Amino acid sequence: MDYKSVDDVQSKLTGAGYIPSREIATVVFLAAATQKPVLVEGPAGVGKTELAKAIARSLGRELIRLQCYEGLDEAKALYEWEYAKQLLYTQMVKDRLNDIISSAQTLTQAVDQIAEQEDAFFSDRFIQHRPLLQAISSEKPVVLLVDEVDKSDPEFEAFLLELLSDFQVSIPELGTRKAVQIPFVLLTSNNYRDMSDALKRRCVHLYIDYPARDTEISIVRLKIPGIDEKLCETLVDAIRKIRKLDLKKNPSIAETIDWAQSLIALQINELTPDVVSETLNIICKYQIDMEKVRKNINRILQ
Amino acid sequence: MVKLIQQFVSCCRAAGMRVSTSEVLDSLNQMQLINPTDEQQFCSLLRSNFAKSIRDVQHFDRLYHLFFHEMRMDTADIKQAASYTEQIKNAADILKKMPHDNPIYDAVIDFLQGNPMALLQEMRRIQTEEEPAMLRFNLGPLGNRLNVTLQINKAASAAQALVEDHYAKTDSVAGRELAIYFEERAAAARSMLAYEPRPGESGTRKTKTEEQKLRGLGEKSFSSFTPQEVEEMREAIDKLVRKLKNIVSRRYAIRNRGSIDVKKTLRASAKYNGVPVEIKYRRKAKRKSRIVTLCDVSGSVWAAARFMLNLLYALQDCFDKVNSFVFIDHLSEVTDIFEENEINEAIRLVLEKSDVDYNASTDYGETLRNFKKNHMELLTKKTTLIIVGDGRTNYMNPEDAILGQMRERCRRVIWLNPEQENLWGSGDSEIKSYMPHCHEVRQCRNVNQLFTFIEELVL
Repeated sequence: MDYKSVDDVQSKLTGAGYIPSREIATVVFLAAATQKPVLVEGPAGVGKTELAKAIARSLGRELIRLQCYEGLDEAKALYEWEYAKQLLYTQMVKDRLNDIISSAQTLTQAVDQIAEQEDAFFSDRFIQHRPLLQAISSEKPVVLLVDEVDKSDPEFEAFLLELLSDFQVSIPELGTRKAVQIPFVLLTSNNYRDMSDALKRRCVHLYIDYPARDTEISIVRLKIPGIDEKLCETLVDAIRKIRKLDLKKNPSIAETIDWAQSLIALQINELTPDVVSETLNIICKYQIDMEKVRKNINRILQ
Repeated sequence: MVKLIQQFVSCCRAAGMRVSTSEVLDSLNQMQLINPTDEQQFCSLLRSNFAKSIRDVQHFDRLYHLFFHEMRMDTADIKQAASYTEQIKNAADILKKMPHDNPIYDAVIDFLQGNPMALLQEMRRIQTEEEPAMLRFNLGPLGNRLNVTLQINKAASAAQALVEDHYAKTDSVAGRELAIYFEERAAAARSMLAYEPRPGESGTRKTKTEEQKLRGLGEKSFSSFTPQEVEEMREAIDKLVRKLKNIVSRRYAIRNRGSIDVKKTLRASAKYNGVPVEIKYRRKAKRKSRIVTLCDVSGSVWAAARFMLNLLYALQDCFDKVNSFVFIDHLSEVTDIFEENEINEAIRLVLEKSDVDYNASTDYGETLRNFKKNHMELLTKKTTLIIVGDGRTNYMNPEDAILGQMRERCRRVIWLNPEQENLWGSGDSEIKSYMPHCHEVRQCRNVNQLFTFIEELVL
């Protein structure tokens, strides 16, 4: 067990540059202690992927990431045979093959003798490891991030089940592979569609929302240590008000940080309507959103 | 602790949450790892194990508050109540023996006694129950509630009378405590009854389509089209259809790339004496989705619905299968009409269809009941359900629970509402009750909004 207590998780994650709420810390601790996957949900940009990276950093583990999309299949997620290499090897060892079967009296014997050598061609040497196989065959424990699992097909989701419940996968030619070290698994979802009950049952669920005001302030200060305290506070307050405006795309934490960074680059120490209006394209990604924010600019800066 | 959690689990289940045994075991195991007296940890632990989607989280929070704060007495109260357990039990027994003919009365007495299970189940039944087919007003649920209110009042006054009878003469502390206890429980029962479950909406995507593409016509609402504009619309639709078909077919062309399928290539090469003449690829056809549409064809909604049907059928190749239904006061399948006839002809036929009564008033509840009874098997994990309607139920039972059941069976539920957004929820509009069950609710008043929607659906 890598984390000792909930407090330990909190301090280690903070050390890794991620400020978790009490709930996040509790869930991460429980998942680590019981070796269960975590299903993370929440609006875009609240730091779901960042959480996985921070966990990897805080545990000193490698992060293996699998990005899901429609049409993702086992060949891209788990393993694939390197056919080209296999064919090449067959060509190169052709003479050797002749030697092997030269002693054979009948055709059946020859086939039998070749069959004995089959393992040589279906071995680890010719397997291309994809993220999932990498994660479970790694000698050191890793953090496995299955990103946007809701974008994948239901078939792939069903396939994930075997991995998540037993930490093993079946490769028909080689048999079942068990995990050398159990990885810490995180799945993220944007709620594009509902996940199956079976998958949900195997995971611990975590819903991350936009952080509370104080948490967000400390996140900005952690990422940009030199920022003026007062500027930081007004900035976060403004962002929180902008999120309430019902925009097409709400500014996320990443955008808060970008905004703060650009203000510092511009050497601006105070938020005025003009400043906000000029730097708006950093926080708003749509023209309509910008217009909406401009209209409400005075209310935001109050 | 185990018992407490078990009780909570049965409450969750009674309230319609799916909590499996393995999840309960997990949470009990995990309980040993944390400090259960820290409420934040305790709550997070239960939440992460029991509520596994955003919709469930809100449901869970409500139940958690109900169970651990509202329904339970404070620790001090528990001690006090414990000293009166005997009396409370005796009183409840006497109350139960009083002549009555209503099973809910028993449930209320149990509740007063500190056992909320039966009453919670009854509440759940009222909130989700479907009406028997003949009744067509939301009086059903209201009537049920009235019944429970009456029973609570009856039990509360009976309890009060009982306490007065037994303790008034002596004016003991115990008597007063007991009276207060019963009053509090009765108040809790009443507040529970008044609560209306509203699963949160944060899980539903609300799309705002404000960009302008087709100026003029694009922004004009469907209901104000002149016949000439309808013709213009047709052309616009044709253009869009051609564009989308192009994009989709390009995607099919692309599938020829990808890695070589060695097995298939070798098998094919057997024809040519082992020379791989035909290269086989691991191609994968793009998944086609199934579409089920339910269209309200009454009044103004029809204007939007016909254009949507027009588009959907023009793009039929892009989907596996399109099943369409129209409804006013009941459901009627029109898939055949659209498959066999040219689109304008089909729309005319739908309007003449004998089993659609254009003078009836819209009834969403009946429609959903019809669908559940006859067509539920159409919904699979590949199906996208599109409902076009304003959600105006004429004050009849909306049956939004059935929409919830439908959501569980299909991939996505999308509701297109041709009404202005600021009118949603006003008057008899039940769109707010339906909204929590949809993956997406869109305003669909004009061509631009419709086009954006169709593009997203196809691509």
